[in-house]
Amino acid sequence: MSKLRSPWRDNCRFAVALVGTTTRASFALRYAFWMSAGMMLLNNLLFFSTWWILMQRFGHVEGWRLEDVMCLFGISATGYGVAVILAGGLFDLSRKIYDGELDSWLTQPKSVLVQALGSRTHMSGWGDLASGVGLLALSGTLGWSTLPLVVVGLACATTAFVACGVAAHSLAFWLGRTHELSRAIFEFTVTFSVYPPSLFGPHIKWILFTLLPAGFASYLPVELLRAPSARTLLACVLGTLLYASGAVWLFNRGVRRYSSGSRFAAPV
Amino acid sequence: MNQTISVGAPRLGMGRRLGLSKYCAIACVAFRRRYNERSVLFGRIAFYAVLLMIFSALWRAVFAAQAAGSAPPSAEFGDYVWYLVVTEWIVLSQPSLHMEVQSDVQSGDIAYQLGRPVSYVGSKLCEGLGDLALRLIVLGAAGLVFGRFFAESWPDPTQLLLAALVGLLASLLMLLCLLSIGLCALWLHDCMPIYMVWQKLVFVLGGLMLPLSIYPGWLQSLALASPFSAMLYGPGHLVSGHEPGLALPLVLKLCGWCTLAAVVMCVLERRGVRRLEVEGG
Repeated sequence: MSKLRSPWRDNCRFAVALVGTTTRASFALRYAFWMSAGMMLLNNLLFFSTWWILMQRFGHVEGWRLEDVMCLFGISATGYGVAVILAGGLFDLSRKIYDGELDSWLTQPKSVLVQALGSRTHMSGWGDLASGVGLLALSGTLGWSTLPLVVVGLACATTAFVACGVAAHSLAFWLGRTHELSRAIFEFTVTFSVYPPSLFGPHIKWILFTLLPAGFASYLPVELLRAPSARTLLACVLGTLLYASGAVWLFNRGVRRYSSGSRFAAPV
Repeated sequence: MNQTISVGAPRLGMGRRLGLSKYCAIACVAFRRRYNERSVLFGRIAFYAVLLMIFSALWRAVFAAQAAGSAPPSAEFGDYVWYLVVTEWIVLSQPSLHMEVQSDVQSGDIAYQLGRPVSYVGSKLCEGLGDLALRLIVLGAAGLVFGRFFAESWPDPTQLLLAALVGLLASLLMLLCLLSIGLCALWLHDCMPIYMVWQKLVFVLGGLMLPLSIYPGWLQSLALASPFSAMLYGPGHLVSGHEPGLALPLVLKLCGWCTLAAVVMCVLERRGVRRLEVEGG
């Protein structure tokens, strides 16, 4: 009699295999890979030079010095990079929902969400990852003693970005064509995540810990590295898990009302 | 029933003689098509608002630090916000013309578009101009509202008008650059790497987020010698710098860069089309 396997473990194994396959496929296109990754690295460094210029002139912004902003940008860029490498299917999830492209995955025994997210990878994510790790190292926060906290912070950042994308794109189940809106929500989260939270008032901060989870994607992980405490660790991990659970629940609720299997589409 | 039918050659206007009417029609169609894509427009307006909110908060913090004794910026808080309103207005109004050209090249659509009785580059430029015109109008109106809200003051009306007029010329220069970048897809197939580097050079050397006046000396000289500073810092400085006399030299500079960009665009088109005819797509 065969042992019953847990669907959770099955899905994890499947996700690892899927990501491995898409990553190998992206490495196969060597020129495109190095070009995309290299350009994204250059892109991020040029963008970060704005902070360097500002700090050269004014020294600090609301108590945030260049090293702190490097840490913030490093966490955000690394988390985003890992998110788009592992879950590159995120960007056109709402379009797939609207166009009825989930049908083929619904017939498979594995999780629809895992298949949808892992179906693509973005080579430029490696550039984000490289620039993020580089900036983290330059900020002085990357060391053997802080490594566990850095890993936890990066895991939270990645999870928060993916969860934000899933929640934003799941709106397509109820609202139909939401591609622009979903992308905008995701982009706003990424944009806010690279600016110090002390710039924003309490109302905006409330939004940044709910609708746009930049708080879990970068503010709390950075706080964890700047002033480690059990309270920050708990807030960071539990908050991210809660947000991610909410996103998965939203997606699963949406799949239950998904009914576009009868749609016809003709290539023109 | 009497019906008079006039026979004879129709009177041709100047525009029709030059074949401009079809290009005007292309621009009008692009304007109307983009007007119907409201969600994209609203997305841009929202992004404009978010960027202005973030940067006005950033400058507020810098000015608060100034009060506490750090190095003072040389202008008022409102000047910096209005500088951003103008620079972001120019950047966010740009259509993704390079992507459209790239898509035509990658899908092979360019092959049958070249056979039409209109210049491919001319029609793409007019499409871009129609799209650009709509965004400049909509984002311009939104920018006035956001600027007043975040800066809590109005700029000098003459300076604002000058910045807007020069901004139109700067937008045209950016559009010509985008079209030239798109044409690079005829050789490279993917123009995104070139676009990304160009975009970030515009951001940094153009002074999108920070005025060049606060840059270190060497970087400021480098930026001022590049065309990027005329695209963004020039119009932005007109609204915030209280130096309206700079408008005329800036217009001449932009006209020079526009001419150069147009020449580069024409050369790229001619060589690209020749390459396509000889080697195929």
